Amino acid sequence: MKSLQPTPTPIVQINTLTKIFRDFWHRPKARAVNNLSLNIYPGEIFGLLGPNGSGKSTTIKILLGLLHPSSGTVTVLGSKPQNVITKNEIGYLPEESHLYKHLTARESLDFYGKLFDINKEERRKRTDELLDMVGLTHAADRMIGEFSKGMARRIGLAQALINDPKLIILDEPTSGLDPIGCRQVKDLIIALAKRGKTILLSSHLLADVEDVCDQVTILFNGSIRASGSVTQLLEKRDSIRLTIPTLSPEKLKEVLNVIRKKIGSEPEIDHPSLNLEQFFLQVVAKANETEAENMSGAASDTKVAAFLKTENQQPKINN
Amino acid sequence: MLKTRQFLTLAQMTAVEAIRQPICLLLAISGIILTGITPLVVIYKFGEDGKLARDSGLAFHLIFGLIIAAYSASTSLAKELRTGTASSILSKPVSRNTLFLAKFTGITSVIILFSITAIAATMLSERIDQKFIFTNTMSGYFTDWHTGILLLAAPFVALLLAGIINYITRRPFESFAFMLLVTCVLGAFVISGFFDRIGHLAPLDYQVDWRLLPAGLLITAALIVITAIATTISTRFNTVLTITSCMAILMIGLVADYVLGHNANSSYLTSGIYKLIPNWQNFWVSDALTGGGHIPWNYVATTFIYAATYTAGVLCLGILSFKHKEVT
Ligand SMILES: Nc1ncnc2c1ncn2[C@@H]1O[C@H](COP(=O)(O)OP(=O)(O)OP(=O)(O)O)[C@@H](O)[C@H]1O
Ligand SMILES: [Mg+2]
Repeated sequence: MKSLQPTPTPIVQINTLTKIFRDFWHRPKARAVNNLSLNIYPGEIFGLLGPNGSGKSTTIKILLGLLHPSSGTVTVLGSKPQNVITKNEIGYLPEESHLYKHLTARESLDFYGKLFDINKEERRKRTDELLDMVGLTHAADRMIGEFSKGMARRIGLAQALINDPKLIILDEPTSGLDPIGCRQVKDLIIALAKRGKTILLSSHLLADVEDVCDQVTILFNGSIRASGSVTQLLEKRDSIRLTIPTLSPEKLKEVLNVIRKKIGSEPEIDHPSLNLEQFFLQVVAKANETEAENMSGAASDTKVAAFLKTENQQPKINN
Repeated sequence: MLKTRQFLTLAQMTAVEAIRQPICLLLAISGIILTGITPLVVIYKFGEDGKLARDSGLAFHLIFGLIIAAYSASTSLAKELRTGTASSILSKPVSRNTLFLAKFTGITSVIILFSITAIAATMLSERIDQKFIFTNTMSGYFTDWHTGILLLAAPFVALLLAGIINYITRRPFESFAFMLLVTCVLGAFVISGFFDRIGHLAPLDYQVDWRLLPAGLLITAALIVITAIATTISTRFNTVLTITSCMAILMIGLVADYVLGHNANSSYLTSGIYKLIPNWQNFWVSDALTGGGHIPWNYVATTFIYAATYTAGVLCLGILSFKHKEVT
């Protein structure tokens, strides 16, 4: 039986990649990535999950041509990672926000825009839209050096999108962000994926990955320990959960008796609780309704900068 | 087109980052003040007119320029590599060659700005220095105090203006102060052309020793060579190692003539080292000015070609080294 849909060509192909860091005398220091293979397909949100030091950032830097593989092959958008031209289609948010401290937010975005083939007017438009998107319009003319970590992170995210990239690589996008910021970034990631962008994100925050990713790979010590779609990985096929309004003790007893009879064993009962994130978001949403006017920190609804095209509008790149 | 814009953007950023270093401003100001003050405080009656000011002005240009060049070039790329801005830039469609050459160009433009200032200061300093003046009303040794005050005021005016600008616009103090220092010293030079040594009005009568121009240009060439060396070494080594190796190359280049010169042909090793290390003596011509000597322009041209070839060679090594550098 042949499948009717042709399998799309992966945007990122990693084949038996190994990376060993060596010291000045060429002695091995650390084996950061070990025989790693994976494919990322167009339109996917791909999560790279793993504890500290498991090789996530190293893998990403190899994809960008910043580090060289010790062995194995890597293809990004159909060419080698060192290819300068394909970088036009890639947006990268580094692990720590690497920005020039003496530039204002607006100047920073313009600086990064100048490294692409974007004209002045378009740069100004994109800068405004991105600043609005990350909720920093009011701080646009302040110097990055004075920014809080999360604010700098937001500028980092904005600079990663200045070229309207096709492949977006985010190294721990939510690190340093407040819970609202996290939520906004996650919503943004989903919105970008809806527009047909391919997204690779790394994180050690399980909630991040669970909320947004289609595909997840768990790294440990440089090699893959589990991979697959999130639902596949998390589904417990041998049990179901039933949520009902609170009952009086007598009624509960009745219901439990019925269930006991049917399944022949004791069911588990607990009160479903919000997780802290949901709770926090509810509290803030309520506060927001009353005090929307005088905000001093970062603010934003999840809106996506308009220039970020959807994929079918995007000119195809020829490799 | 895009490459040019990337190159200029990165070079400009490099230059701005370099003059934002307080040490850069400090060195430039010290160099100018020392140049201006030497002919005023050192009594040197019986020598040749202006020799003291010429020698010390050129020496301050060379020494302070060398420290600015070595320091800025060693820290510039190294800092971008350390703080990760280099990885941000290289994840954009910027080739490593563009980044490396933009780094060199950015520092070189700072060096050129400093050199213009230093050359102007040296010429003014030579003018300040005691000279025997003979007019129909007076004769004797005169120090040109008017020019002295003008030159020494320039750095303070620059600092003051930079402070005011910083107060009003909240932009970084150091970079404005550096640019204003250049402007003010050049301004002092222009103004000095409107009065003579005794203080009488004399429009467009520049009583300066123009022979200092080729001498200063040669020193500038030497500074550009050391910038290239430091930028190249900094692709592989940290700041301390880079500065140390630069100083080593400087020292060897200074003594090369004495130690290796006479037996340069005696073995392949010595002749190899002799040819590889830049010969700094070529760039130091102050002695030739003594006794009214001139520096022929074709000597300047030859030395420039030597410096350009040397710089190009060193930059090629740098490009090769940076091409395979891992950026984290
Ligand atoms: N420049 C380097 N030199 C030597 N070893 C390195 C270098 N960079 C990373 N490593 C090592 O490689 C391994 C993987 O590091 P990596 O930064 O990829 O981890 P990570 O998964 O991104 O961790 P984190 O969650 O902390 O960001 C670690 O053991 C680390 O010590
Ligand atoms: Mg990491």
